[in-house]
Amino acid sequence: MPIYEQAYRKYEAREALRTVRFWPITREALRLILAKRSFLALLVIGWVPFLGFAIYVWALTQFGQVAEGMASALPRGGAVFAQFFKWQMRLNLLLTTFGGAGLVANDLRTGAILVYLSRPLTRRDYVIGKLSVLLAINLFVTLVPGLLLYGIAIALAPAQFLTWDLAWLGPAVALHAVVLSLALSLPALAVSSLSRSGRVAGLAFFGLLMGLDLVALIVGLIGRWPAAILLSIQACVSALGDALLGAPRDTALAWAYPALVLIAIALGSLAVLRARVRAVEIVR
Amino acid sequence: MGAPLVDFKDLAVSYGPVVALAGVSGSFLPGPTGLLGPNGAGKTTLLKTLLGFLKPDRGSLTAFGLDPAREPLEVRRRIGYMPEVDCHLPGMTAARFVAFAAELSGLPPDEATSRAHEVLYYVGLDEARYRTVDTYSTGMKQRVKLAQALVHDPDLLLLDEPTNGLDPEGREEMLALIRDVATRREMSLILCSHLLRDVESVCERVIVLKQGEIAASGRIDELTGPRRSIYDVRVKGDAAAFLTDLKDHGCEWQEGEDGYRVFMSDGAGPDVVFRIAKECGVQVRHLRPGVESLEDVFLRALGHTGPGSERTATAVGAAVVMGPER
Repeated sequence: MPIYEQAYRKYEAREALRTVRFWPITREALRLILAKRSFLALLVIGWVPFLGFAIYVWALTQFGQVAEGMASALPRGGAVFAQFFKWQMRLNLLLTTFGGAGLVANDLRTGAILVYLSRPLTRRDYVIGKLSVLLAINLFVTLVPGLLLYGIAIALAPAQFLTWDLAWLGPAVALHAVVLSLALSLPALAVSSLSRSGRVAGLAFFGLLMGLDLVALIVGLIGRWPAAILLSIQACVSALGDALLGAPRDTALAWAYPALVLIAIALGSLAVLRARVRAVEIVR
Repeated sequence: MGAPLVDFKDLAVSYGPVVALAGVSGSFLPGPTGLLGPNGAGKTTLLKTLLGFLKPDRGSLTAFGLDPAREPLEVRRRIGYMPEVDCHLPGMTAARFVAFAAELSGLPPDEATSRAHEVLYYVGLDEARYRTVDTYSTGMKQRVKLAQALVHDPDLLLLDEPTNGLDPEGREEMLALIRDVATRREMSLILCSHLLRDVESVCERVIVLKQGEIAASGRIDELTGPRRSIYDVRVKGDAAAFLTDLKDHGCEWQEGEDGYRVFMSDGAGPDVVFRIAKECGVQVRHLRPGVESLEDVFLRALGHTGPGSERTATAVGAAVVMGPER
């Protein structure tokens, strides 16, 4: 008897379509990414800045018990967190590059995009599902350690951090983590959709962000033009972070400008994804 | 025969200036139906419109009484689609991939896993289901594609060139599997192919597309009717006069690289060929009888026979066309 005559069962238990349909996409993509040991190692390295800053906060407060006044050396307000996020962003860039480069590119290369889009899923579900992968990775090394660091700061130096006038700091840390994660995740996904090769997309994304950083630095140095930071995504995120966390600002530029640039990049990325994520490739 | 599963009227779809479907009308009834036509005829466009990927410029298309352009999710959950192109997720085992496809179709995770194993067993991949799909042969990849299309037990299965890239044995196995799905499991399917034999071996009905228009549609046995006899002929002498006389006697002929395939008029036998050859002073150096194949019938429907005509490269013919004597 041919093997295909063994079994086939009708499936009668159809349920109503789920409202949250992107979760299987996120879960499977995360599972595939986290199965790579190199990526897991990078994820662990992503917590190094947190450890460094946690030790820094601990050391200052502990020395404060010995030498009065040392705890007050801890910068008040959000300066510590702003500094933490600036360090963290470099690792986030690496994580986003390795984790996000192939997210859409591989689906386009292997034709898997048709497996997704021929199902009861919208293109929006697909993009949200893939974006959630990068957000989960980025928030794991920004939001979680950021809030932990805030908790440590409150626990070890309550006089400086557990005050009503700094009640906004916790939400500001969370908001900045979200802004940072979105600012890297959306362009990474858009660049991934522009190629059929994960490697090419990864190199393009990393090169783009580092290149823009370099251009902003050179233009800023030569022209002494504060608005030069608007050329760099990372500089925009840092400037917005300084404003959100109440840290001393590196630039005289109002925070609204980098915010607008980041919004424009997010909208541009969504437009690219809208054009590229489709089941029908139209060759003109 | 039930109500049509898919109904389309005056359906026009274009990609910019390129018209893919030029106002076609028809329907797909329950059961297996073939969708035939050479490359660029509009077959895949019709399937993609049915899946809601493309919006018609004009006309209407309904599947299960729903408009795919307006309710694509409801339509897609009832359809299983096996694309022509390779499709798999790198690094994923077949079991995980098919279960994932089931979950995307709305099945709960436990049920998805259970059905994935059943369907992989059904398509003959039970031994290899824990291997990553990247390591599969072409035939196995085709089976995984079929499994992911079947896993949620669709009401309608869309198969786009399911035997592409398969060796003869693999092709027969795939066709047997598709026949089983259509007959024993009573699943309606649309088999999109340019291989007429594939369609003939699985389907009862067919829609033939040509350059965005319907060239023929209906039951295969009614469309083909009584088949005519044919002869592969090689001659020496004034072939032009011979062919002209053949045409005058109601025969059609087709020139290949090397000779002529003569489609006899009803009731005519080889004696007609010899008589005409004698009248024209032409020497018949080779005459081999054959039976008109389904390919020949559809090529005629598509207008690919007649004086000086040649088969299109997409309509793969089995005919051995002999060359003129040199």
